[in-house]
Amino acid sequence: MLLKKLFRTLWQYKAQFISMVIMVALGVGVFLGFNVEWYSLEVNTGEIYNATGFADFRIYSDKGFSPEDLDAVKAIDGVDDATRFLSLNVSVKDDTDTLALTVSENMNVSGVLVMQGEPYNAEDPDGFWLSDSYAAANGISVGDPLTLIYQTITVSGTVRGLVKSSEYLICLPDSTQMMPDYSSYGFVYISPAMLDRSIPALYKALIGSLYHQINVKSSLDKAAFVEAADKALGSTRLILSKDETVSWAEAQGEVNEGKTMASILPVLFLAIAILTMVTTMHRICASEKTQIGTFKALGFKDRRILVHYSAYALIIGLLGTILGIGIGYGLGWFIMNPDGAMATYIDMPSWTLHAPGFTWLVLIGINAFLMFIGFLSVRKMLQGTAADALRPYSPKRMKHLRFEETKRFKRLGFGTKWNLRDCVRHKARSLMTLFGIVGCMVLLVGGLGMKDTMDAFLDIFYEKAINYTTRVNLDTDNMTQEEGKKLAESLDADWAASRAVQIGDRGYSLEIYSITRDKVRFADEDMKIIPLTDDGAYICSRIAREYHLKKGDELSFSPYDSSDHYTVPVAGVLDSMTEGIVMTDTFADKTGIAYTVGSVFTDAPEIPEDARILNRQSKQSIMDSFDVFMDLMNKMIWLLVIAAVILGIVVLYNLGVMSYTERYREMATLKVVGFKDSKIGRLLISQNLWLTVLGILIGVPVGVGVLQYLLTALASEYELKLVLGLPTWLISILLTFGVSLIVGLMVARKNRHIDMVAALKTAE
Amino acid sequence: MAIVEFRDVSRVYRNGDHEQRALDHVNLSMEEGKFIVILGPSGAGKSTLLNMLGGLDSPTEGTIVVNGKDISTLPPNELAEYRAASVGFVFQSYNLIPTLTVIENVALVKEIAPDPLSSHDMLRAVGLEDHIHQFPSELSGGEQQRVSIARALAKNPHILLCDEPTGALDSETGVMVLKLLLSMARDMGKTIIIVTHNQNIAKMADVVIRVKNGKIKSCEEQDHPLSVEEVDW
Repeated sequence: MLLKKLFRTLWQYKAQFISMVIMVALGVGVFLGFNVEWYSLEVNTGEIYNATGFADFRIYSDKGFSPEDLDAVKAIDGVDDATRFLSLNVSVKDDTDTLALTVSENMNVSGVLVMQGEPYNAEDPDGFWLSDSYAAANGISVGDPLTLIYQTITVSGTVRGLVKSSEYLICLPDSTQMMPDYSSYGFVYISPAMLDRSIPALYKALIGSLYHQINVKSSLDKAAFVEAADKALGSTRLILSKDETVSWAEAQGEVNEGKTMASILPVLFLAIAILTMVTTMHRICASEKTQIGTFKALGFKDRRILVHYSAYALIIGLLGTILGIGIGYGLGWFIMNPDGAMATYIDMPSWTLHAPGFTWLVLIGINAFLMFIGFLSVRKMLQGTAADALRPYSPKRMKHLRFEETKRFKRLGFGTKWNLRDCVRHKARSLMTLFGIVGCMVLLVGGLGMKDTMDAFLDIFYEKAINYTTRVNLDTDNMTQEEGKKLAESLDADWAASRAVQIGDRGYSLEIYSITRDKVRFADEDMKIIPLTDDGAYICSRIAREYHLKKGDELSFSPYDSSDHYTVPVAGVLDSMTEGIVMTDTFADKTGIAYTVGSVFTDAPEIPEDARILNRQSKQSIMDSFDVFMDLMNKMIWLLVIAAVILGIVVLYNLGVMSYTERYREMATLKVVGFKDSKIGRLLISQNLWLTVLGILIGVPVGVGVLQYLLTALASEYELKLVLGLPTWLISILLTFGVSLIVGLMVARKNRHIDMVAALKTAE
Repeated sequence: MAIVEFRDVSRVYRNGDHEQRALDHVNLSMEEGKFIVILGPSGAGKSTLLNMLGGLDSPTEGTIVVNGKDISTLPPNELAEYRAASVGFVFQSYNLIPTLTVIENVALVKEIAPDPLSSHDMLRAVGLEDHIHQFPSELSGGEQQRVSIARALAKNPHILLCDEPTGALDSETGVMVLKLLLSMARDMGKTIIIVTHNQNIAKMADVVIRVKNGKIKSCEEQDHPLSVEEVDW
């Protein structure tokens, strides 16, 4: 019988019931969704790291490594495995595409995962194991011929297999590119045998070992490994740990980004869901008080009544959780699926969804807590004797408030006083309404502000900072500095050189620029374009933060493969895409830092064929790669906006209905006295609108704060400066206002159906 | 002169196939300035009659004319105007707005009544001038009912409709409230219509209307109604 009552009561309070289920579902969904996103990424990337033997350390040498060097590294205590490794950009014949030609002597380290075709064969004399994503983007299949060109060397063979590799998990040609573009850039593995066969004997004799890299699997920490490796190899080398590689750092950045999102937005949703539950359960139990009393008077034990009414909260919690799990996995799938935007960024074979173990514990905890809220609400109504419980719930007695003594309050109209006192009398309800509006506003400001921030970021770093049409990358191994400068001159270009340096034990890139034609620009921390001076080195804001440096301080660094140390003044702090140091060629010359021109930046419509040109990259291709990134971003923002609107509608409608129910009798009185429906409606809406205005006023700084927190949390990945455009303000405010007004009108419409006779007969 | 006329008025409530006739072809006429008591047992239809008259409900059949105006077919907004201008309500359970003070409860009618009276005067008339800044919950039942009467009177209505106005009060307070209502009829010329099942109240009335099973059983004029003090409470 009680079960029948349970379902009928749920039906009776269907508006509150449904809105609570939606709130819990949204809270659980967002919580689970973001956690599924980062954890699935961690698990799936972990799988490919393991399957392809992602290296923990990379040792670099300009001169290359001999087999003896490899043996020396392998002999280090704590090294599990190692391989000599080669990766260099080559051109595809009869095409403008570039491939990273890769050879790993020991495929247990930095190897491949064959997705299609033949297994990798270290003895194959003419087989290519090509990136399957590049193959798909270019219509290449297993068995197709392929010819690659490096300087004067041509390497021909057949595509034996299509593969993925964790070394190219995020396959970017250089640090200016934000998103992979498999239509023009990919990677290909060949066997050491094929490498050996393809390189002319003379060439080998001239340059020695082709393997410029040893990749190592080791559980040592970086400091210990560097010390051991330097000792084993007899000199200081450039050694990068895996967290200094694009593939690991970017994927880990995505994971951390997911963790950050999972720790902010879900908290907002869950907090609102729980607080709404507290208010709603209290109101439901209050209006059920006489029935609770009747059960008690009939002889039902308190425990049974408690269980019965706690079951409402449990049902709401369970239904919300089940729906939320669906939403969570849906959200996870939306971000993490092989056809989605994330898949255009991260090239991994498996896109399975996983939820971290703790999320299930949290969900159980949430349900237990919701039931506890129900339990406490009923227990309050059960207090005292059966006769006490039988008495209807009486709201708090009105007391005069301090501000009522003011002249201004006395001059207020009756409707304003009525609403003001109602807000104060029903503090929990008013606060929850406020909380809902603030939440809605925070999501809108956060979501749209993130888009503004990203747009401004892209505008500065790409639209404005890239002032050239083509970037031409040069083969620094086969070009003198003079030749490079001459080529730049002939193309009416600015140029840059790059050197790997280290500050402490961390590796950074030192970029030396000659800017005389305004082809490349730099932005300061305020995202204002500034000219580079010859007074010192510019550091990115991440380095400035890491080493507590500011303009005027001194910066010490040393190039790899060199015993030189430089201490230079910091000329300024730049906001940049990459972590590094920037200086002018004049300052580099003054300081005595050696460099070779590596890239030129030009608007020349025709770039002459030149064997010393490695590849060309158009500004358009860089910009195009952002479209995918921005697409993902826009989708996320749409989701946030939709979530904000749902949150606003659900919370405000639930509380609006609650307010309507609580004031039903008062409204019936007003109606009897002669107030028209429209006037009563205006009174109801005006309270909602006040709270909305207050919510917006609070929501604006909170939204900005949350966005700033997010940007700070993401700072290790991007140096983003908070930007909020006028449209964002207008959309956020108008949408929040609109939601509040629509819900207010929906609730206000109900007063047409007030049964004056019935309402006034009920006891106060 | 008849201020209220019920012409063949019926009110039928339908719930699925079930039909309940709360008022059954009622014909009635009430004079201005009289103290009228409608008597009847529970479910007789007396409250329905009062609600029709007050514009809270509309008849299924028939016509109700108040002050020469047919109110039986008025749309909701015009009914609201009618309630605002012509009738005042006093309920058994007072129905005050708990978040407004005594004076504010009375003054709120200024927002809608075309010709309201001074709230202070009305509260003075009901003897509550010392309580104007208190909230209803700080008053006794009798005091709350007097606020309710003051609010009803502040609209300056022609008719005051009272549904069991003493039902929730002890007899001493009830007597005080009745005395007040009677004085409104005698001194201010208001038409007071009280619905009750208390036979004693009928002894004070100018007119006693008895209702049973939705029909008017009798309508008697009393030439010598008793004063409040003369009634044995």
